[in-house]
Amino acid sequence: MKFQVLLCCSVFLFCGFSRYEKPKNTEGTVILKFNNLFNKEALDFEKEYTNAHGEKVKFTLLNYFISNIKLTNEDGSTYVIPQDSSYFLVKQSDPASKEITLNHIPSGKYSALTFTIGVDSLRNTMGIGSRTGALDVGATAKGMYWVWNSGYIFFKLEGTSPAAPEKQKNVFNYHIGGFGGYRSKTMNNIKTRTLAFKPVVVSNRKGPVIDINVEIDHFFDQVNPIKIAEKSSVMWGEFSTKISENYVSIFNLGNVSSK
Amino acid sequence: MSAYLAISAFQMSNIQRTFFKPEIPSNFPLPVYDLKANPLTEEGIELGRTLFYDPILSSDGSTSCGSCHQQFAAFAHQDHPMSHGVDNQFGRRNALPLFNLLFSKTFFWDGGVHSLDFSPLNALENEVELNEQLDNVLKKLNDSEEYRDKFKKAFGVSEITSKVFLQSLTQFMATLVSANSRYDKFIRNEGGLLTAEEKEGLELFEQKCSSCHATGLFTDGSFRNNGVPNNYRFDKGREEITLNASDRGKYKVPSLRNIEFTAPYMHDGSISSLEKVLDHYTSGVEQSVTLDPLLKQNNQPGLAITDPEKKKIIAFLMTLSDREFITDKRFSEPELFLNTPKPNEKNHSHTNNR
Repeated sequence: MKFQVLLCCSVFLFCGFSRYEKPKNTEGTVILKFNNLFNKEALDFEKEYTNAHGEKVKFTLLNYFISNIKLTNEDGSTYVIPQDSSYFLVKQSDPASKEITLNHIPSGKYSALTFTIGVDSLRNTMGIGSRTGALDVGATAKGMYWVWNSGYIFFKLEGTSPAAPEKQKNVFNYHIGGFGGYRSKTMNNIKTRTLAFKPVVVSNRKGPVIDINVEIDHFFDQVNPIKIAEKSSVMWGEFSTKISENYVSIFNLGNVSSK
Repeated sequence: MSAYLAISAFQMSNIQRTFFKPEIPSNFPLPVYDLKANPLTEEGIELGRTLFYDPILSSDGSTSCGSCHQQFAAFAHQDHPMSHGVDNQFGRRNALPLFNLLFSKTFFWDGGVHSLDFSPLNALENEVELNEQLDNVLKKLNDSEEYRDKFKKAFGVSEITSKVFLQSLTQFMATLVSANSRYDKFIRNEGGLLTAEEKEGLELFEQKCSSCHATGLFTDGSFRNNGVPNNYRFDKGREEITLNASDRGKYKVPSLRNIEFTAPYMHDGSISSLEKVLDHYTSGVEQSVTLDPLLKQNNQPGLAITDPEKKKIIAFLMTLSDREFITDKRFSEPELFLNTPKPNEKNHSHTNNR
């Protein structure tokens, strides 16, 4: 009888064990938090601000694509997030979109983050089957695609300002895109940004939260002066390169905390 | 000959789809479109055909793709230099015919779109055409039990997304292959005959026209300025896409197949007959910085073609008409739309510029 009980228990235990997943010490999570700021304070669509050129501004829309994310290990090796899972659209109007959770990151000590602001060239040429999730032009990516000149809008900033012409209702529109062209070479506004930090550990389903501060005030003056009075509407045109030159370096490292 | 190869029935999970293999004409280059990413099925094609002719794609239910892409005009817009969409608003360029799209490297007169999957969006979201937004179209389709059912049968999906919507339209458009003109049957030795005049026209065509209107597609797919008078204020052509001043006034070389059915001609529909087209090439070419070098021979704009030669060339161009294509029932408007009046449809007459 004792033997049979023991046998049952063993079988039960054995079955129990085989139902558990092997604990994964080998993977963790990294969370990216995008904080849109103006003059170091959280961006608010209700607030009126003054830009570096003395122009009053109120924002109504801020969207940007973050993609092709890479993490660099302190030994120099890199982990590239599988591309199909590496396209995100951050929208100021959608707080949930500002937090990006990257799962299944191999354990290690990471010291740098690289990401693309925009959508890479190759993806811009693919068929509709490869445009899902954040890239879905009939859903998440609505309003972030040029149907007449195939390609995504990488960074979209809209609002009102007395400096913008009255005949366009004081509205300013900055729609920045351009992946370099397919059959002909065209303008390329794809930008890559790398942020380095003190090594953080990723392991055992845990990992850091990396804050990325996006300084919208410096959209207007980081490298080139962008004056609403001079250019209130910039879309598919050479001038957009001056804007992408600005916004690439307004993405800066904030707090990095370990969980 | 328009026979397509045999079909094989396939069972995938719980849906049954009938795969369809388009036959590639032997006098054509290879397809550009990646069929592996969107394999054609009878169900997908039929769904695409229904959508092509359904005015539900327009904001007010008045206009469908078929409104401006008419089969009897080889899917161009008969007699219309420019087309009118929702609220009778006019566009600024001539509606291009639709055929042999699997072989095109770019779409539209300025080549602004390079994946066939994305070509319908340009018309769908243009205010003067279908005046809609993709997400709203998807909502309308998802609200229709009939469409949800059709999409389930064709793609195995319970929700209609941009992916399956556009893929079904592509599948229908992929079947629009036009390669059975009398010229094709002649060149492929299938018993097609050309008269002496038509053969002379073919020879002249090869001398004078085929540098640009090349290959079995009758276009090399390049962008050129052929000297059609252009006020660049309203239409800069390819330059609008590349932002390159050297592309000003350049438009894609259109195919000449079915040219008998697709008048009026040029990017703005400004030339109403083939006779006038050839007159343009001999005496109407406008000089400009970006005028194609092939039209600047001997320091004179245009081509040297005598009147008898023009007649022969036109006789040859008539042999490019594919009557099988423009009457093929598989590409026609489904019965269910033919008898449904569209709101705001006006009986309009238009002047015939011939």
